Amino acid sequence: MEYLDSLKDIKQRIKDLPEQALTGERVPGLLAELAVLLHTFDAGLSQDPTTLSELNSFVNKRQSLDAMSRHVLVGLIDKLLTSMHEVVSASPDLQQVDMGEEQAAAALLDTNNGFDSKELLGFFLQEANEQVEKLTDGLLELEKSGPRQDLVNELFRNVHTLKGSSGTMGFMSIVRITHLAEDLLDKLRQGNCAVSSQLIDLLLNVTDRVRSIIANIQDGGTGNLEVADLVSRLENFNDSEPTGTPNAVLDEETYVVYRLSAEEIATLSADVPENRKMFEISVRFVTDALMPSVRAMMIMRRLQDIGQVLRTVPSNEDLHIENKLEFYIVLATDQQEKIIRDKVMQVADVQEVSIWEFCRNTAENPAVKPVAKPIMAAIPAATVPVNDQTGGNGFKNQTIRVPAERLDDLLNLVGEMVIARTRLVVVGDELKHNLPQDHGVAALTETNVYLGRLMNELQESVMAMRMVPVGQVFSRFPRLVRDIARKTGKDIDLVLSGEETELDKTIIEAIGDPLMHIVRNAIDHGVETPEERIASGKTPKGTVRMEAFHEGSHIVLTVSDDGHGINLQRVKEKAVANGLIEPGTEVSEKDLADIIFLPGFSTAEQVTDISGRGVGMDVVKKSLVNIGGLIEIVTAQGKGTSFIIRLPLTLAIIQALLVEVGGEIYAVPLASVLETLRVVNEDIKSVGGQPVIQLRGNTLPLISLQKYFDLPQITSEEDVAYVIVVGFGEKRLGLIVDGLKGQQEIVIKSLGDLLANVSGFSGATIGGDGKVTLILDVGSLISDTLASNGARGVV
Amino acid sequence: MEEQLVTFLLGQEEFAIDIMRVHEIIKIPAITKVPRSSRYIEGVINLRGNVVPVVSLNERFGTQKAGDSHNSRIIVLQIDGKTVGIIVDQVTEVLRLDDSNIEPPPALAGNIDAGFIRGVGKVGNRLVVLLAVDRILEGEKLTNYA
Repeated sequence: MEYLDSLKDIKQRIKDLPEQALTGERVPGLLAELAVLLHTFDAGLSQDPTTLSELNSFVNKRQSLDAMSRHVLVGLIDKLLTSMHEVVSASPDLQQVDMGEEQAAAALLDTNNGFDSKELLGFFLQEANEQVEKLTDGLLELEKSGPRQDLVNELFRNVHTLKGSSGTMGFMSIVRITHLAEDLLDKLRQGNCAVSSQLIDLLLNVTDRVRSIIANIQDGGTGNLEVADLVSRLENFNDSEPTGTPNAVLDEETYVVYRLSAEEIATLSADVPENRKMFEISVRFVTDALMPSVRAMMIMRRLQDIGQVLRTVPSNEDLHIENKLEFYIVLATDQQEKIIRDKVMQVADVQEVSIWEFCRNTAENPAVKPVAKPIMAAIPAATVPVNDQTGGNGFKNQTIRVPAERLDDLLNLVGEMVIARTRLVVVGDELKHNLPQDHGVAALTETNVYLGRLMNELQESVMAMRMVPVGQVFSRFPRLVRDIARKTGKDIDLVLSGEETELDKTIIEAIGDPLMHIVRNAIDHGVETPEERIASGKTPKGTVRMEAFHEGSHIVLTVSDDGHGINLQRVKEKAVANGLIEPGTEVSEKDLADIIFLPGFSTAEQVTDISGRGVGMDVVKKSLVNIGGLIEIVTAQGKGTSFIIRLPLTLAIIQALLVEVGGEIYAVPLASVLETLRVVNEDIKSVGGQPVIQLRGNTLPLISLQKYFDLPQITSEEDVAYVIVVGFGEKRLGLIVDGLKGQQEIVIKSLGDLLANVSGFSGATIGGDGKVTLILDVGSLISDTLASNGARGVV
Repeated sequence: MEEQLVTFLLGQEEFAIDIMRVHEIIKIPAITKVPRSSRYIEGVINLRGNVVPVVSLNERFGTQKAGDSHNSRIIVLQIDGKTVGIIVDQVTEVLRLDDSNIEPPPALAGNIDAGFIRGVGKVGNRLVVLLAVDRILEGEKLTNYA
């Protein structure tokens, strides 16, 4: 970086000055040189704007130095150098692409703070991901709706923004393919090309490629993935009305000649108050200007202070990628030409400013020369106005972006506080027991209660912050369904509803894959081909419906298809063949349908690459159970199948019943506890080795946790046992425990990868005594116990 | 090249771990047993609000557990990005060992699977077994005994 070198050079020269020369004539020159150099710096180059401004004021006030001030000066320069050095060396990319200019400019203009290349990258990734999402959605929409001008424009803008920010960050592979995609979209926009599935396929391929490049960058890669194949496909893409291959040249001429046409002046001046004059300003930067686009933005910002910037060429959104040395502005202001000139000249690296005032009455406008046709003619005027640009500030809708980890941290902290309060309550109770008369203790108890209320509120707000609309998961399905439908030759309409239903972020993250699997199955095995459908009197187009809605303290997600339903007869045959049920047993339809959740069960006659890869519905079920969910199937022969998934609203903090078994304490999520019973031992009967009791006329299977977990037997004098009746879906199970220890709010902690496969526990929590308490996984207890009985219908 | 190691005892034998892998050394808190997990898993502990699994190396290596548990400690390690505690009978010292004093693992290492051993260090007339920390949790799934 040459500026760094110049700064080092000046520092050395100041350091080398002999003592007696400090007041001499060389000093003012040196200081001036430094001042000029500092002026060309901007906060974007240094992470330390404070030092920069300190230096500036130091230099501005002085004509001479002494030993002391020289020392201070050199120190300041050193400090600045360090901060700049950090910026430059932190990201080698920055040197190559002239820094992240848009962000540098934004940092410059908005906060005057430095910027952090890492933050910048994060910003880029987030933004790029969003654009890719929008693109994918838009393309699918386009395929459905046919050529719609507004949609095409929107897509064009998405691609353009993506190209721009990638260019800024130096990810040229993205730039190459998005540029060509932009060309295709442009053809589409001008009606030179039709919306075909081939075109959509190709453009979707572009989004896929961009996505994988982004993923590569996210994983610390350079993002320089091979794109030549896609480039050639894009370049050679021929539609029904070939119009020649798009031009792949990225950069246009460096110099732009651009003047307004009469009509444009008329349009532009329409909204300008009468008392304002209008100017066309053309700025040229010196040829070695550092980051001309940043300069251009600075100029624009300055001019906005004195008037209204009506148009810029290149347009503001193009500014950061074009980096042209010529810059053109239409300004409406009530200031004089000289003021404008001064404002523009304040910015470094400006070589020449030309300003023309013109009349609003276009007919007599002397300034209008019939020169070149507008360069940006391809972009409809609607996208150019400066007013459009405020959206980029991210403060729309009064929302702010917060990194997800911060929310996780916050939730963890709240969790810790809940635990701490639990301890506080324990301590308070002890004190109260020991000192029943003490006023202080009474006050403590009172405060505890109040604290508890506050904690609840805090918890609720943190939970609310973590709620994410289901739409985030649903949004990937239109694409998925389209692809699978095309692959399997089926015609499918995906209907989504309830996308705004909110769920905890952790749950949202966990349901993506299971849902994907279910949807794949629905299309691959559920919905028939158009011919089959017609033969069975249905519409050729099948429907897959995904819904989300509230139901009590749960969220219900359903995936239903109108296909041929699950062939229960075949399920039964297969189950018998696999020894899962004994031949000749009566099994209810419901239980039969549930068999498909057993490991290793698949009725598909042929394995395709879409589903049936050996990962069965058992995995789907397991991952849903892991997050406290339930899944059910409703199927009707010939009519279709629905998967109904019930999920808890939130995961992190739940109410639990603490039980004691074999000297250990375990927590049972209260949501799955139906009732607790006190049972005389002799009422416990055994059916085929399975302990059961009769409960209101029904047989309830039991499981002794002491035996199941191989815990020491605690002999009790009483001849009674406690039974916790838990339910999971429609299944019931009684857990035999030694005693009940009360109900408590617990914070769920993960047991970690190491213990993730241990069945019987879904997590752990930390009790009031600081010891870890394990949380029982009711689902796996039930399926374990009932599965070991086969599907004998003991439910 | 010099390595800095934390040495500890399992029964009568002395072992060592690269100090960079050691997160902290703590006294043994209340350990909650995890039924149906592998026998190597001693249980889980609360480490400042995090649930951390604790592995018994005596179980893992088949070494004899010391009778006196007064000096027992848990060495908290980062393995593969995960925090894991190992129970040791006594933490002996932190020492520097030059590469030249480290020999490749012997072909036969008694009860201990040679895969767990990175080398054998000579400290004066003592021999310490350098553990390959990443391998401790490898090979055998620590779960699924059911």
